Amino acid sequence: MPRFHELTVTDVKKTIRDAVVVTLKPANGAAFDFIQGQYLTFRRDFDGTEIRRSYSICAGRDEGILQVGIKKVDGGAFSTWANEELQPGMVLEAMEPMGSFHTPLDAAQARSYLGFAGGSGITPVLSILKTVLAAEPRSDFTLVYANRGVNTIMFREELEDLKNRYMGRLNVIHVLESDAQDIELFQGRVDAEKCEALFAHWIDVENVETAFICGPEPMMLGIAAALKSHGLSDDQIKFELFASAQPGRVTRKASAAGAAKDTAAETQATVTLDGATRSFAMSKEVSVLDAALENALDAPYACKAGVCSTCRCKVLEGEVEMVANHALEDYEVAQGYVLSCQSFPLTDRVTVDYDQ
Amino acid sequence: MTEEMNIADYLAQGGKLTNPANVPPRYRAELMKIMSAFVDSELAGAAGFADVINDGPGIKERIAAAKIVLEKTDNADRVLRLMGEFGAATGRYVSHHPWTDRLPRETEPGRTRSAHDMRLSVFNYPLAGWTDAVTMNLVMGLAVDVQLRDLAQASYQPLAEAIRGLAPREARHTELAEEGLARLAAQGQRAAIAESVAYWRPRVAAMFADPAPERMAQLRGWGLRHADAAQMRAAWEGALDEALARVDSAAVAA
Repeated sequence: MPRFHELTVTDVKKTIRDAVVVTLKPANGAAFDFIQGQYLTFRRDFDGTEIRRSYSICAGRDEGILQVGIKKVDGGAFSTWANEELQPGMVLEAMEPMGSFHTPLDAAQARSYLGFAGGSGITPVLSILKTVLAAEPRSDFTLVYANRGVNTIMFREELEDLKNRYMGRLNVIHVLESDAQDIELFQGRVDAEKCEALFAHWIDVENVETAFICGPEPMMLGIAAALKSHGLSDDQIKFELFASAQPGRVTRKASAAGAAKDTAAETQATVTLDGATRSFAMSKEVSVLDAALENALDAPYACKAGVCSTCRCKVLEGEVEMVANHALEDYEVAQGYVLSCQSFPLTDRVTVDYDQ
Repeated sequence: MTEEMNIADYLAQGGKLTNPANVPPRYRAELMKIMSAFVDSELAGAAGFADVINDGPGIKERIAAAKIVLEKTDNADRVLRLMGEFGAATGRYVSHHPWTDRLPRETEPGRTRSAHDMRLSVFNYPLAGWTDAVTMNLVMGLAVDVQLRDLAQASYQPLAEAIRGLAPREARHTELAEEGLARLAAQGQRAAIAESVAYWRPRVAAMFADPAPERMAQLRGWGLRHADAAQMRAAWEGALDEALARVDSAAVAA
């Protein structure tokens, strides 16, 4: 299971009004090797609730530094904190780099790569393009970078510098939603139609080795459809999605601990699964999962040994005892999550939800 | 770029999810189930085959069998690592189940999974010697190839990529089984092979099953299933008939 490590913040730099680039150094000097395009998952306690957020590394592999870009999200506890309060010298906790948004590199190859980034989706793509240009001296990279306007473009100057440094090998196409552009093609949203127009005149899509896409959902769908219609296979299209669904707001503690223990042998259980809620009486000697299955609810499970975490559910009311837990982390338990295969009711009423 | 989209709509339109942070809870549960069924089947399959390595008639056969055991175990590891990113305790996972456990040989086809792990039902039946093991490997291997083609399109990108990476090795195991079976057929084992095919065919066929229609629709909407059981079963039947015909003609030619 992944572990958390301490990283010391050595620099915090604003790139645009609401985004920072944070440079980190492993506190104990341990190796923190990453592959271009990977992300770090941070954890931090906000008023007693642990929040975990993932941010992509924006540094290239060859740069010898660890850097992530953090854009402030409305109501996002972690990103707001990072943008407003994070200072050099502070220590963050992060898991080892993870993610498969990358392809193997080979210095002998001359390949053409295509990257699409929407807004802060640039962070992993920047890491990839810097690494590719340095590690494959004969390869080229075309970046289509979608933003609302000129003043929301992260890493604009750095991209200009890279264009100069890798003369002729890096091509950057800025597509802006609201600011007027000299060429109409570079205005609007990056969707399937826009891709078709770009492929017709500006991008040699037939010779693309791999395309990398990181942005919001509709943009990813549109681009993927256009790429597939030009013959790219699933293996040639790499996605990275940091969906808006990522929970980031500090919510009230949902754990229903503190309820008085009851002594009756039966519990009135209420189970929500796939949007439907059912109630039934169950013995306290039976696990929540088995009781749900006995009552014809198609609850998810696999190992029934507290190992795989397939049967995870959230306790909304009452209290259960989890007799074994090899899969949930402390913060999940603190939020009220349990492994239903290992959970036995302690109170006379228990309400659990598999949909959260 | 703040346009937002419901994750279910995104998936229904062929969108991919890329890491545990953007996976919704019920999708997560179905995905974990699919991954543990794969891991358990690979581990149970490898464990069963490990027992017959020394039944191989020659050194080449034993090397092939050992290679299959090694690679199936490694294939399990690749998917188990993805489960680890969701929090599964990968170290305990492997040592938890008795992977070599089997039911009595005469157990009827289609027995549901054992209560303790998620292996496909076919891995609950014991192998009966070398010819039977090679036959099972061919009959089952062709079914695995069909199922992996579906899994390779899964909307969870890390799983789809892992499957695409390991599918050629699984396909090679199936080829090894066909080559081995052709040799056994040429050595006068055709009756024993036919008997084993008759034993394994219904047991493998039983693993092509769809969940209840609503859940199947849900899985399809999420991009976790594509073909239905009837389509996959037909593809497997066709591939198996062709392979057995090749084995037969190799025996006749010999």
